[in-house]
Amino acid sequence: MAMEELAAIKKLDFNMCMQCGKCTGSCPVSPKSKLNPRRFMLETAYLISPLTMHPPLNIQEKGELWDCTTCSTCSYRCPREVKPMDVLIGLRSLLVEAGNVPSTLGDALEGVYKYGNPWGLSRSKRQEWTQDLKVKYASEEEKIDLLYFVGCAASYDSRAQVVARAIVKNLNALSIDFSILGNKETCCGNEIISLGEKGLFEEIAGNNLALFDRYGVQKIVTTSPHCFHAFKSRYGRELAVKHYTQYFADLIDEEKIRFSGKIGKVVTYQDPCFLGKHNDIYDEPRKIIESIPGLRFEELGRSGKRSVCCEGGGGRMWYDIPGERLAEDRVREALDVGAEIIVVACPFCLLTFDDAIKTSGNEERIQVKDIMELVAETL
Amino acid sequence: MEIIVCVKHVPETAEAEIAIDSSGKGIKTEDLVFDINEWDDYAVEEAVLIKEKLGGRVTIVTVGSEDADKTLRKCLAKGADRAIRLTDKAFDGSDAYATAKILYGVIKDLPFDLILTGTQAGDDGYAQVGVILAGFLGIPHATMVKKIELMEGFTRVNRELEGGLEQVMEVGTPALLAVQTGINEPRYVSIMGIRKARQKELKVLGLNDLGLKEEEVGESGSWITVEEMFIPPVEKEAEILVGGLDAISSKIVETLRARGLI
Repeated sequence: MAMEELAAIKKLDFNMCMQCGKCTGSCPVSPKSKLNPRRFMLETAYLISPLTMHPPLNIQEKGELWDCTTCSTCSYRCPREVKPMDVLIGLRSLLVEAGNVPSTLGDALEGVYKYGNPWGLSRSKRQEWTQDLKVKYASEEEKIDLLYFVGCAASYDSRAQVVARAIVKNLNALSIDFSILGNKETCCGNEIISLGEKGLFEEIAGNNLALFDRYGVQKIVTTSPHCFHAFKSRYGRELAVKHYTQYFADLIDEEKIRFSGKIGKVVTYQDPCFLGKHNDIYDEPRKIIESIPGLRFEELGRSGKRSVCCEGGGGRMWYDIPGERLAEDRVREALDVGAEIIVVACPFCLLTFDDAIKTSGNEERIQVKDIMELVAETL
Repeated sequence: MEIIVCVKHVPETAEAEIAIDSSGKGIKTEDLVFDINEWDDYAVEEAVLIKEKLGGRVTIVTVGSEDADKTLRKCLAKGADRAIRLTDKAFDGSDAYATAKILYGVIKDLPFDLILTGTQAGDDGYAQVGVILAGFLGIPHATMVKKIELMEGFTRVNRELEGGLEQVMEVGTPALLAVQTGINEPRYVSIMGIRKARQKELKVLGLNDLGLKEEEVGESGSWITVEEMFIPPVEKEAEILVGGLDAISSKIVETLRARGLI
C-alpha cells in the first residue's frame, strides 16, 4: 500500500464517523452493487490507524469502488460531515496507481490524456458541432470577456451537440458577445479527478488555467454542471464561472429575455447532482423553466435535495454495472407526475435519460430535453 | 528471467485525418498523436506479467527519436526495469530489415531468455522486424502469439490463425515471440506512475555504440524502397447486379472483360 496516495484520506477525521450507515442507506447504487460507503469508512479508518482488522482490507479487490457515481448524496447527508464520497475517490486513486482500472475507464483516461476528451475522438473534430453557427473563436488579438466552455459531451455527442447549438443560438439571439476555444478546448477533468487520476487532473487543470490566461478569459459559462464544478471548486483558483442555468436566470431577473413562443406541455425537471447536491443550485433552473410560456411544471416525487442521480457521473458514462439504470426508474417517476418532457440541465443526464427512455420502452410517451433547447424553441 | 521487449512509438491513425507529406512517400505527422504501438503494448504487459510471476528483469528497446521517450517512460511505468533508445541520423529511412539490424546491434550483447515484440506495427504494418531479428540472433521464433506457457528449456505458445483457429507450438528457448493483440489486458498507467518512472534507467545509444556502419542502416542498408504513398481514391460508382446465378456470373465476366481485367 503506497501510503502517500492516502494523503487525501488521511486529512479526514475518521473519528467523526459514528458508523450510522446513513451514507449506505442514501447511496442510490448500493441496492444493486456491493458498494457500501459505511463499511469503506470503517475499513479505511483501520487501514490508516495502528489498529488491525481481520481479514485486512485489500483495496485492490474492491472493484465496486468503480460503481460510485460521485453524486455526493452520502457526503451531503452525513450528519458528521466526514465526506464518504471523498474517501471513495481517494481509494480509487490507489487502484489507479496500481494500474487496476477497468479497461473502458482506462480508455477514457487515455482518451483525455491523448486527445483531450474521454471518448478519444480527434481534437480536429471538436468544433465540428458549430457548423454554420455564428461563433467567435479565441484569438490572441482579443481578450475574452465571456468564454462559453462547451465541454466534451456537448462537443462530440450528436445528441448533446444540440444543446451546444441551442446555447449559441440563445446567446446570439440575445446579442451577447462570447467566444469559444474551438479545437483548443480540452476536458475540464471533473470526471478524471472523480476517477482518482490525480496526476492527469493536475496536468489538465494546469493546462486549462494557462489557456484561460493566454486568452485573457474574464468570465466562463459552461454547458455542463461537471465542468462548472471543476472550475469552481477543483482548480485551486477563483474563477468567475457560472453554469448556464445561473447565467440565464440572471438574464431573466434583468428582464433581458422575452419569449415569443410557448410550449404547451407538462414538464418535469431532473436536478443534476453537480448542480444540486454539489453546489446547492436548485432555484435557477426552475426559474428558467417556469418562465417559459405555456408549459406546466410538475416536480418529480423526489426532487431538489432529495433528487436521485441519473447514474452518469463519476466515470459511469464509460462503465456499466449489471441491473437497471437509475435513470429508468426516474423515467417512471416522471410519467407518474404526468410529464411529457423530462427537462435536464446536464449533458450526462441528457444522454442517460435518452437511453433510459428507449430501454424502458417509453419513446412514444415521454422525451428528454435540455433547458436550453426549450429556451431556443421559444425565444 | 531476462526479457527484452522491442517497442515502437507510432502515430495513431485510426481516428485521424491522414494527409500525404511533401515527399510523397510518407504522411504528415505534425497533428497526429503518438503512442506505443498497440501490439507492443500487449507484449510489454505480457513481459511484466511474466516478471511478476517468476521474477527477473524487463528491458525495453526502441529505435526512434527523443519523442519515443514518452513510450519508453510508459513502459517503465508499467513495470519494465530499464529502457534503451537507439537513435542516429543514419537510422532514418530504415526498413524492417535495417531496423532489425539496429536492434540486433544492441541485443546481441544483452542477456535474455525471451524476446517479445508486437506482431506488427500500426503505422507501416510490415510485421517483419521480429522475425528478421530472430534470424540475426539465430534463435527460434513464433508470430501471432496469443498465449505463452514457459517450460524448462522451451515455451508452449498458441498462435492465432485465420477463422478462429489456434495452433499450439513448442519453441525452444531462448526464443523470440511476436505477440498478437488480446493475449492479455494491458494495464492503465497513471500520470503519477509515469512521473515516478523517470527515476528508472533510460539509456540512449547511437550508430557508433552499436558498432554499425552508416551503409548498413537507413535507406542504404534497407531492402525495401518506398516509391510512393497515396490515399486510395474513393470510388463513386456501385452497381448491384440482379437476376439468377447465371445472369449475374455472365455480367461479372462481361464487366471484367470490358475493363481489360481478364
